[in-house]
Amino acid sequence: MRFGPRALKLALIGALVVVFLGVRAAQAQQTTTLNIYVDADTNITDWLSNIVKPGFEAKNPQYKLNVVIARGGITMTDVINRTMAAKQTGADPQVDVIEGLDPSNFTKESMDAKLWTTFSKDNIPNYDTLNPTINILPYGLPYRGSEVLIAYDSTKVPDSEVPHTFADLITWIKAHPGQFVYCRPDKGGSGGNFVVRAIYEANGKDPSLFTTTNYSDALAAKMLPPAWKILSDINSSIYQNGSYPAGNLPTLQLLANGSVSMITAWSDQSLEALQKGTLPSTIKLTQFTDLPMSGGYVYTAIPVNATHMQGALAFANYYISLENEESIVKDIGGFPTIKKEMLPKELQDLLGTALSDKAPPVWPGGSWDTAKNAGWYKTVATTLPPTETPAPTVVPTINPAATTAATAQ
Amino acid sequence: MATMATAELKPSPRWRRARNVFSGYALILPALLLVGLIIVYPATRSIIVTLTTQADGSPAAFTLDQYTSFFTDTLSTTNLLYTLRVALEVVAILFLIAFPICLYLRFSKSRIANVIHFLTLFPLFVPGIVLAYALIRFTITHGMLASILAALCINNYTTPYLTTQGIMFGLVWEGIPFTTLILNAALIQIDDALIDSARDVGANAWQIFTRIMLPLIKDAVVIIFALQFLMILGSYTIPYLMGPAEPEMMGVFMQRTYQDVQNPVQAQTQAVVTFVIAALAGYVYVRTVASQQKGQE
Repeated sequence: MRFGPRALKLALIGALVVVFLGVRAAQAQQTTTLNIYVDADTNITDWLSNIVKPGFEAKNPQYKLNVVIARGGITMTDVINRTMAAKQTGADPQVDVIEGLDPSNFTKESMDAKLWTTFSKDNIPNYDTLNPTINILPYGLPYRGSEVLIAYDSTKVPDSEVPHTFADLITWIKAHPGQFVYCRPDKGGSGGNFVVRAIYEANGKDPSLFTTTNYSDALAAKMLPPAWKILSDINSSIYQNGSYPAGNLPTLQLLANGSVSMITAWSDQSLEALQKGTLPSTIKLTQFTDLPMSGGYVYTAIPVNATHMQGALAFANYYISLENEESIVKDIGGFPTIKKEMLPKELQDLLGTALSDKAPPVWPGGSWDTAKNAGWYKTVATTLPPTETPAPTVVPTINPAATTAATAQ
Repeated sequence: MATMATAELKPSPRWRRARNVFSGYALILPALLLVGLIIVYPATRSIIVTLTTQADGSPAAFTLDQYTSFFTDTLSTTNLLYTLRVALEVVAILFLIAFPICLYLRFSKSRIANVIHFLTLFPLFVPGIVLAYALIRFTITHGMLASILAALCINNYTTPYLTTQGIMFGLVWEGIPFTTLILNAALIQIDDALIDSARDVGANAWQIFTRIMLPLIKDAVVIIFALQFLMILGSYTIPYLMGPAEPEMMGVFMQRTYQDVQNPVQAQTQAVVTFVIAALAGYVYVRTVASQQKGQE
């Protein structure tokens, strides 16, 4: 049989394709692919895919990262449930690392099922570099944090006047009417955590009084009204006689264009804005020294039945390494979780007094949040005349007039 | 011999008439079903829920608890009255702005009139959120408007951002295209001859406007009023972004009650109350359109 030139060309191309695929397959077999699950916002997932992945793969060439974004239809709780089910049946969960969980996301079922690997110096070489006040969960590795702090214009607020305690801030607000603003507590965490700080201030600065399990309407009716008094007192000294923007970013914009000289803001949003230049460089950040405003740290977790345990631990170790923590501060404006003195001087200066050594309190949210928001709208933001006795700061289905009328009959 | 169609028509057979009626209904059946399933059925269920849930959340055969708590709660009634007040004021301002523009466009054929016509339609192409942010940047303290006014030596400018004026600013801007479109269409239908003959008899401009033009465009004015009132009653984006934290317009209030206060039944009650008020405006609209169509037959 004689092959024409066309047949020879096809054979040549076919051979090249086979060789190419073979080489690729051989290459793929040399590296292990790790599945990292993340459900955070786009700024974090972009950072993971574009900065962390190349950095990790450069240091650990035998691994390749597969960033799985669990946003939208599927939630992290679904991923955790699937991993638990796989542990029971012995199947491959196809999960190596869960990149970041709030402490409240470690579901009770997963804790009961002992799903999580315990971290220590033995399996994570960088373990001791973590700040011990933040590293409080044995099964979670804190790698970044965010808290609400005070951002102020240093050209309008001289260093001597910068408030360092909540009481100082109240004095400053009353002395400079119209120069401070915070956003509505249900529309942005920067305003929400300021209201939380007022609640703590009104209750002896004791965050342990509020837990995820101790909410009751009666308790809220006792503990929240003194905070409303504090906030109503300063209502007329807030920007424009008590005008509250509808979110975190509008508040930052008010500070950026000079409408106000001091706001409460999220640390990551302000650090990012300062780096990008959307906040002028004259803006400085500070935090209360007596009790910081609330925030949270995000914890990396590894299930005990991770497909590639060695790779997962290598990734977790890299995640809290100095190189990655520097990237956290510079690229996404997060708070680092390693000891402050380990950071290079320029980053320590950038964080300044904003990063206190104390871990911030964690507000339980849930029913406490509902009561806090409803009460704020009813008693602080309202322009209703003060002679009206404020309705109790509970869900408004319970109308005292209706129930007393019902019982009187 | 070709039988021309005579003026006297044979009455069509009953089956043909029945078939026409039936095919008419069959054609609109899909649309009716869609409206029924997506709007009427859920809305009815919501109304039933508000009438059968007591104040503490437990079910009952029939109770007005939800409505009692709505109307006895000062915050809710303040917000409702605030919404009505803003809606009426915005519609009034819209007429004040639209009438001069439309009268000018009706009687002037110059190039500038075309430019103005395009400008009145321009807000149609701007989405609500984009408009809100643009207005915030424009009207904020030390913003562009403040700079312009300062250049004209007007220095006591306070921004309407986060006040009722901010809401009205945004809603008026959004409502101009719709108002001018309908008003223009109505004014064009007024014959020039009517105006000329009135002028010949000695009527001045104001008399022509009130005695000749207004009665002729009465239907269009009622339609604009009803539809704009409806749109503003349920508006959300502009009041949310540009308005004060309190009092809130009903749209913002409902969303907050549903999502933040976590009280869906009360939110549905607020919706039903707003719906009843909107239904009144809708009834006025339907009556006017129906009488207009009758007049045209």
